[in-house]
Amino acid sequence: MRKGETLGWTAAALPPILVVAGLFFLPSVLSVISSFQTKQGWSLANYQRVGDLYLKDIRFTVLVSLISLFLTLLIGVLVSGYCRLHQNRLVEWLFKIPLFVPFVVTGHAIRILLAPHGLANSLLASAGLINIEHPIPFTGNWVGIAIALAWKNMALAVLLILGAFRGVDESYLEAARNFGAAKWRQVLDVLLPMSKSSLAVVAVLIFTSMLGSFNIPVMVGGGDGAKMLMVDVYYNIVYQNNYGVANALGVAAYLLSAGAAVYYLRAVKTN
Amino acid sequence: MTTMRSPLPAQERSNPLVGIGRMSLKAAVAAFLLFVVLGPLAGLVIWSFTITWFWPSVLPTEWGLKYWGFVGNSGMMKALTTGVLIAVTVTLLCLLIATPLSYLLARVKIPFKPLILLLFLLPQAFPQLPVFANTAAILYRFNMGGKVSGVIMIHLVGALVFAVWTLTAVFKSIPVSLEEAAINLGASRTRAFLTVALPLALPGLIASSVLVFLWSLDEFTGTLLVGAPFVQTLPTFMYAAAQGYELQVASITAILLMVPGIVMLALMERYLKSEYLSKFGGA
Repeated sequence: MRKGETLGWTAAALPPILVVAGLFFLPSVLSVISSFQTKQGWSLANYQRVGDLYLKDIRFTVLVSLISLFLTLLIGVLVSGYCRLHQNRLVEWLFKIPLFVPFVVTGHAIRILLAPHGLANSLLASAGLINIEHPIPFTGNWVGIAIALAWKNMALAVLLILGAFRGVDESYLEAARNFGAAKWRQVLDVLLPMSKSSLAVVAVLIFTSMLGSFNIPVMVGGGDGAKMLMVDVYYNIVYQNNYGVANALGVAAYLLSAGAAVYYLRAVKTN
Repeated sequence: MTTMRSPLPAQERSNPLVGIGRMSLKAAVAAFLLFVVLGPLAGLVIWSFTITWFWPSVLPTEWGLKYWGFVGNSGMMKALTTGVLIAVTVTLLCLLIATPLSYLLARVKIPFKPLILLLFLLPQAFPQLPVFANTAAILYRFNMGGKVSGVIMIHLVGALVFAVWTLTAVFKSIPVSLEEAAINLGASRTRAFLTVALPLALPGLIASSVLVFLWSLDEFTGTLLVGAPFVQTLPTFMYAAAQGYELQVASITAILLMVPGIVMLALMERYLKSEYLSKFGGA
């Protein structure tokens, strides 16, 4: 490239870099710095508070995410396995729908479905399965959050896992069939082992997005029990105006995500 | 595709009861799948046509279009137009500034390339909310907090990350030989980009901008942190309505929010590759 041309391209390439650096990278550095600050100066007080008040919420976040991840992967593998062996466009299309339903809409939809006085409970009550005076509390605890997160993420799981399953050559499946392998055997013994590394990628991708989820927990969660980490961050900012603690909680979330990423890198390496 | 099916034992094949059992099992599974995927959405539709609904009635006590009349009302309409205005601006800005960088990343050896890639990977791997809370503080310092311009800026961050990844993939998918031919015949890199690569990338550019538009329309976290309570888009409007137990209004807003995405899924299904979609849904 000539000199003038290089200059022009550099100028054209800089704006997106500056925007992301200034409005994402810089704020993430600032959040780490401010987590070590209080009004009195540098201190570990914010982390002290996280240790005193929020350890159970951190545990809760990891547990809910793991449960929901398990549910998501289970649905993802079953549906993808079925679609890989049967070529069912309709099922494939059906499970892509949640991809285009925004997180907030998912939160609201699951909430009105599962709330104590929601559709699910009134259906169960009319079927005589539960006592109308004591509806099952699906929301305000981990159940609603796990279900909502799994519902939203199963579409992505199917999309990616089915992609990996489609990459497995038909001849392997044919060989298994010739030995009389049933459908579930073909999924379990051929498709799954051969897409192990893709599955690890999907799992980490979805797990970190669940750790960092905010819209769904804030709509479906509630209640007095443990909260998801991002809801704690938000409440600390909005109701207590305590950026220090909010940022310390943020750092905890970064570390959890980084841990998942390290696990992922290991999984890829050993494969 | 020729696949060998393991034949059923003769006994099973001849027994009609087994066939009926299988069919009803299939129907039950199909019904269950439909319920799993569409059940939550059905609840939204029912609530949107509800006038009154007393617990524990299974269906609404009084049905009607009453609340759909609220769509034209000030709050929701304003949120809709603000959201569309923001999404259009974000899409145009994003396309304009993301395209050159994406082309460079796909084609040219540029300095600091790993660092740039890392920068654009970061927002995908990190939880957004704690970072965006600090972004909001920065935007407030520059007097953009609570304003449409601030919301546009925070949407632009996510939109750019999304667009740079998809557009780089788009440019990589175009055979490099065509541009090389143009350059060998004396065209400059800029000219090869403008007259060869750009026209070929047009379908990808359009697909990517539709996704950016939808992403911005659905964005919630950044809008809430920067815009609330002065700038409302449909997602934050819906959140406020739901928190205030205006369940009909919230459900109608939710349906309005879903329509563009579903329409696009139906129209563009063939063009949607998984790498376009992995971070979708307006987190």
